[in-house]
Amino acid sequence: MEAPKYVWEGAIPLQIHLHESQVTTLPPPPPALILAPRIGYLPLLAPLIKPYFSSTLPPGVDTIWFDCNGLPLKWYIPTGVLFDLLCPEPERPWNITVHFRGYPGNVLIPCEGEDSVKWSFINSLKEAAYIMNGNCKNVMNMSQSDQLELWHSVMNGNLEAYQRVSSKLKLATVDDEYASLCLQKSQQSVIETDLPAQAKTGRVPVRLYVLSVSKDFDDLDEIPRVDSWEKISYINRPVEIRKEDKCFTLHDALKILLPELFLDESLMNVKLGGVDLEDAVRNSNEDVTSVKVVEDQGQNVCKQPEACRISSSAKIKLIRIQGIEPKLEIPFSWVANNLLNPDYFLHVCVCVKVAQ
Amino acid sequence: MAAESPNSARKVVVHLRATGDAPILKQAKFKILGTDKFAKVIDFLRRQLHRDTLFVYVNSAFSPNPDELVIDLYDNFGFDGKLVVNYACSMAWG
Repeated sequence: MEAPKYVWEGAIPLQIHLHESQVTTLPPPPPALILAPRIGYLPLLAPLIKPYFSSTLPPGVDTIWFDCNGLPLKWYIPTGVLFDLLCPEPERPWNITVHFRGYPGNVLIPCEGEDSVKWSFINSLKEAAYIMNGNCKNVMNMSQSDQLELWHSVMNGNLEAYQRVSSKLKLATVDDEYASLCLQKSQQSVIETDLPAQAKTGRVPVRLYVLSVSKDFDDLDEIPRVDSWEKISYINRPVEIRKEDKCFTLHDALKILLPELFLDESLMNVKLGGVDLEDAVRNSNEDVTSVKVVEDQGQNVCKQPEACRISSSAKIKLIRIQGIEPKLEIPFSWVANNLLNPDYFLHVCVCVKVAQ
Repeated sequence: MAAESPNSARKVVVHLRATGDAPILKQAKFKILGTDKFAKVIDFLRRQLHRDTLFVYVNSAFSPNPDELVIDLYDNFGFDGKLVVNYACSMAWG
């Protein structure tokens, strides 16, 4: 089965508990067991969840929202990404709490049901198109019926319908490096002359979610629970695949997305006249100008002090895309072509251990 | 909006442009901290225009999620040293 099919058929088993403040009956209702599509969004599950709890809800207007261990869940983040990010030791079923009242407007942006989710999705798609093509005319010029069909294909998890409509958008896909490398081995010179000129580089829209931890760990269940969105850095930065002699890997992509974590690698090539790097950074009265320059660069790149540190002990502990943990050597073009969400964004979850 | 801060935190120039029948602001260019969310721009516009319903776009193209960081939007979509933000009272680009 092709990878995108696996992605579209992926689902998270949820055990959804009604928040105690909204339980008006005794005994309290049992949790709802729902299989939620990875590529979907939690508010879209409302029609499935409501029947379980409607008889016990207090009177009033319903505004659905969810929390995981007290953390309100951002509804515009695909369900699978939320799970990958907040459940490092993947618990199955994933226990979350549903609320129909008391919407936390200070943490969550408003959501008025399906229309809000659709608006968020279409705008993400336009943003991705803009990143890839420099404009989003193709999405803006979609007919009403095409746009509706695209949205419904996402809601229903219908990959065939989705591909039928999205192919009309002619959104640039990335050259599959693995395939072309294999092809090169068998047909050396034919490629250069016979194939029409194709875009040699591709810009891949990426949404990167970084969970920083201060203590190293061996087991995933040692990762502290996320109790605030402040602990997660969100970065929206495209990756431009560079065509060089060697394959552009996921590792190369991470160097572009999180340059501050890889600064030390480049420093290893800088001659410091025998002075140990750690000592040079500590002793600020030493005139080690090359180190200073790098630090300054780091300051400009660093935008969220809590989440980023320039340290040789910073390391990537975990990287998850669509629930899988790919090896860093994997060709990034394969990742970009197969693990995208329907909004044409690659959502990547990373756990980084940083120095105190 | 944001007061000038003495540290090296990067500021982004935002150019607010009216679309359709939306009122034009007297002061349309502002500096905002890169680490601020786009929500701050939206809230500012709502207060300045005394309107709750506003449609806010970048480069007349799409509406970014309010949680997006201004610095990311500027890096990805800014040009000529600024981020162009269009606002309308009704949906301009559906």
